[in-house]
Amino acid sequence: MLIDTVAKPTVKNYLNVKQGILSWLLTTDHKRIGLLYTFSITVLFFLGGFFALMMRLELLSPRNWLVSNETYNKLFTMHGIIMVWFFLIPSIPNTLGNFLVPMMIGAKDLAFPKINLASWYVFMIAACVTIYALFRGGVDTGWTFYTPFSSQFSTTYVIAAAIGIFISGFSSIMTGLNFIATIHRMRAPGLTWMRMPIFLWSTYATSVILVLATPVLAITLLMVAVERIFQVGIFDPALGGDPVLFQHMFWFYSHPAVYIMILPAFAVVSEIIPNFARKPLFGYKAVAFSSVAIAVIGFLVWGHHMFVAGTSVYSAMAFSILSYFVAVPSAIKVFNWTATIYKGSVSWETPMLYAIGFIGLFTIGGMTGLFLAALGFDVHVTDTYFVIAHFHYIMVGGSVMAFLGGFHYWWPKISGKMYPEGLGKIAALTVFLGFNLTFFPQFVLGYLGMPRRYAAYPEEFQMLHIISTAGATILGVGYILPLCYLIWSWKYGKPAGPNPWRAVGLEWTTSSPPPPHNFKETPVVYWRAYDFEAWKDRLGLVEREVEDD
Amino acid sequence: MTIPPHTPKTLTLVFASLWILLLGSALIGFLNLGHYNIVVSVAIAAVQAFFITGFFMKALYERKIILVVVAGGIIWFLIMETLTLADYMSRGWLPFPGK
Amino acid sequence: MTEPTLSGTALLELREHFENPEQQRETASIGMWVFLITEVMMFGALFTGFTVYRLSNPAAFDEGSKEMTIVLGAVNTALLILSSFTMSLGTYFCSIGKTRLLSYFLILTMVIGAVFIGIKFTEYYLHWQDHKVPGFWFEYHGADARAVQMFYVFYFILTGLHVVHMTIGIGILLVMLWRNLLGSFSATYHTPVDLAGVYWSFVDIIWIFLFAIFYIPGLHLR
Repeated sequence: MLIDTVAKPTVKNYLNVKQGILSWLLTTDHKRIGLLYTFSITVLFFLGGFFALMMRLELLSPRNWLVSNETYNKLFTMHGIIMVWFFLIPSIPNTLGNFLVPMMIGAKDLAFPKINLASWYVFMIAACVTIYALFRGGVDTGWTFYTPFSSQFSTTYVIAAAIGIFISGFSSIMTGLNFIATIHRMRAPGLTWMRMPIFLWSTYATSVILVLATPVLAITLLMVAVERIFQVGIFDPALGGDPVLFQHMFWFYSHPAVYIMILPAFAVVSEIIPNFARKPLFGYKAVAFSSVAIAVIGFLVWGHHMFVAGTSVYSAMAFSILSYFVAVPSAIKVFNWTATIYKGSVSWETPMLYAIGFIGLFTIGGMTGLFLAALGFDVHVTDTYFVIAHFHYIMVGGSVMAFLGGFHYWWPKISGKMYPEGLGKIAALTVFLGFNLTFFPQFVLGYLGMPRRYAAYPEEFQMLHIISTAGATILGVGYILPLCYLIWSWKYGKPAGPNPWRAVGLEWTTSSPPPPHNFKETPVVYWRAYDFEAWKDRLGLVEREVEDD
Repeated sequence: MTIPPHTPKTLTLVFASLWILLLGSALIGFLNLGHYNIVVSVAIAAVQAFFITGFFMKALYERKIILVVVAGGIIWFLIMETLTLADYMSRGWLPFPGK
Repeated sequence: MTEPTLSGTALLELREHFENPEQQRETASIGMWVFLITEVMMFGALFTGFTVYRLSNPAAFDEGSKEMTIVLGAVNTALLILSSFTMSLGTYFCSIGKTRLLSYFLILTMVIGAVFIGIKFTEYYLHWQDHKVPGFWFEYHGADARAVQMFYVFYFILTGLHVVHMTIGIGILLVMLWRNLLGSFSATYHTPVDLAGVYWSFVDIIWIFLFAIFYIPGLHLR
C-alpha cells in the first residue's frame, strides 16, 4: 500500500494512454471510435445544416431570388441525404452508443472491436463518395430516390449518391451486429436483462432494426444503380417494371429507419429524466418492452407513405390501422417519463432542459403522426409542409434535442471536464425557441396547402415563411453555441470527477475520462437500474474511492 | 471429451435425403401443375433448407438464442413478402379504375 | 465457467476483452448468425421483387425459365449440397481433434466450390450465345419480351450476387486452411472453422432457392 502511494503514476485514461494521430486512426477502443464518429457527424451535420439554411433563405421571397429551381432541388436532396444517412442514423448509436454500451454493461469493449473500427472507415468512405456526388453537381431526386425519375430521367449524379448510401449501410449493419452480440453476451455478472438501463434496451431495439432493415435499402439502391447503368427496366414502367415496388422496398427500410433515429433518443431521455428527478424510472418493464414493441410494429406500417401512390385501398386501410398501433408504445413511454417527473425532486440542469423539451416536441410530432396515419387527412396534406413539420418535430425536435441533451449529460464522462452550465441553459432554451419558431409555422403552411420541394410559392404564404426563416437563424445560433463551449471546456473546463450528477449506473463508477479498459475489475451488479435507494451509500463512496487512487 | 451430436452417420443420412429431395424436385418439375410447380419446388427447397440449417449448420444443437435469430430472419422476410403482396393482390377489388 | 479441459489454443486465441473462451465462442456465433439474417433480408428483398413480377406475368416467367439448362443447374445444386456435406464433415473431424482431415476436407470443399463457379460461368456463356443478357444483348421473339427480360434481370442479379458470395466463401476457406496449417485449430478451439462452415452452408441454401425459382418452373414446358 505504501509503495503504491509513493510511486503514484499519472492516471492513465483512454485519452492520454497513447498519443499521436495513428493511435486514433488505428484504435480499437470503443470510446475513441465514439469520438471519431462524433467528429465526423458533427462536420456532416453542419454541412447538412448549411443546405437547410440556403433553402430557408431562398424561401424568404415568393420568387427565386437566391437560387434557381434546379439548385433548390439539389439543396433539399443533399440536405435530406446527409441529415438522414450521415447524421441522424449514426448520431446517437455510433457516438454515445459506442461510448456507453460497453460501459453500461460492465464490459471492457464491444464484442468485435475491429469491426467497430472498420464501421467508421466504411462510414467515412461512404461520406466521401456522397460528397463526391455533391461536388460533381449534386443530386436532385429528393432523398427518397423515387423511380422512375431517379433511375431513368434525372441527369444528376444519382449513382454516386446511391453507392454512397449503399456503403454507409454496411457501416450501420456492422454497428447493429456489434451491439446485438455485445448486449447478449458481454453483460457483467448479475446484470440480467431486467436490470439493464433503458439505454441498453433501446439501443438493442435500434440494432435489431438496423440489422433487419438496412440490407433491404442496400439492395434497393443497388437495383436503381443497375437500372441506370444497364438501362434494364426493374422499376421503369416503360420496360415492364413497377415504380411502386421501389416505394415498397424503400419504405420497408425507411420507415423503420425513423425508429432507428428516434429509439436512441428515447434511450438518452430515459437515462436523463430519472437522474434529474432523483426517482427510479416509472414502469421500467413497460418502457423496456415498448422499445421492442416499437421495433417490431415499426416494420408493419411502411405503407402509410404510399397512400397516394396507387396502392390498393384495402392495403392502405390495413397500413393505416397498423400505423395507429405505433402510438401505443410511444404513448407508454411519454406517460412513464412524465410519471417519473411527478413528485420527483427535479433539478433543471441543461440535460434535463433538453429532455423536457424533447418530451414536448416529440409529443407534438407523434400526435401529428396520427393525423397523417388517418387516410382521409393524409390525402389532403400529402407532400405539404405539414409532413415536413411533422417529421422535423420527430427528427430535430426529438432526435437532435436528445442528442444534445445526452452529450451534455455524458460530457463529463467523455472529456472529464464540466461544460459551462449557464451557457448550456441558454443554448438549450435557444434551440427550443428557435426550433418551434422554425417548424410550427410549417404546420400552418402545410395545412393551408403549401407543397414541399418548391422554391417559389404564392405570396400569401410569405409571412409564415419569413417567421420560419427567422426561427431557423435562431436555431442555427443554438447549435453553434454548444459546439463552441464544448470545445472550450475540453481544455479549460473544470474537472468533473467520476460522478458529477450523483447518477446511478455502471458508467459512473469508473473515473472520468475512463481508463482504456473501462473498469479496474469486472463489476458485479446486484441492483436494478435507477435504484437510487441501493446506491445511497455508494453515491457518497464512489467519489471517495476514486479520489483515493 | 464429449462426442459432438452431429456424427458422420447423421450427416451422411442428411446428405442422402438432400440429394433425394433434389431429384424429387427435378422430377416433379416435369409434371404440369400449372401455378403450383413453383409452389412445390419452393416447398421442397424449404425442407432442404431446414435440413441444412438444422444439421450442417448445427442450428438444432445451438443455444436457444440462435434459433430465435433464425426464426426472426424467416419471420421478417415473410413480413416483407406478405405486406407487399397484400397491396398487389388486393388491387382491382373495387370497381373503380386504378383502385 | 472455465472448463478444466480448456487449454492450449483455446486460451491462446482468447482476445483480451473476453472473460473466457466460452464467452468468446458464443459471441462470435451470435455475430455470424445475425450477419446471416442481414443476408436473408438482402436476398429476401430480391425474392420479394421476383414474386411481385412473377405474379403479374406467370406465363412469361415460365417461358424464361424454360430456356435454362436444367442439367447444369441440377448438377450445380448437387455439387453445392455435396460441398456443404464435406464442409460439415471437416468441422466434425476438427472437433474431435483430427485437424489433418480438416485440411483435406477444406481443400475438397473449395475445389467443389470452384467447379460450381466454373459451371455457372459456362451457363452465363450459353446465355450470351442465346442473346439473353439484359442490358448488353437481349433478344426474345415472343409475346411478352419485356416480362421475359425482367425474368433474366432478376436471374442475373440473384445468381451474380450468389457467385460473389461463393467467391468470398472460398476466400474465407483459404484463410481457414492457412490457419489450420499453422496449427491454430484443435479439438478445443475451432470456432472460426465452424462459423466458416455456417456461412458456406448458408450460401448453399440461397442457391437451393434460386434453383427452385429459376430452373424448375419452366421444366414442364419442354
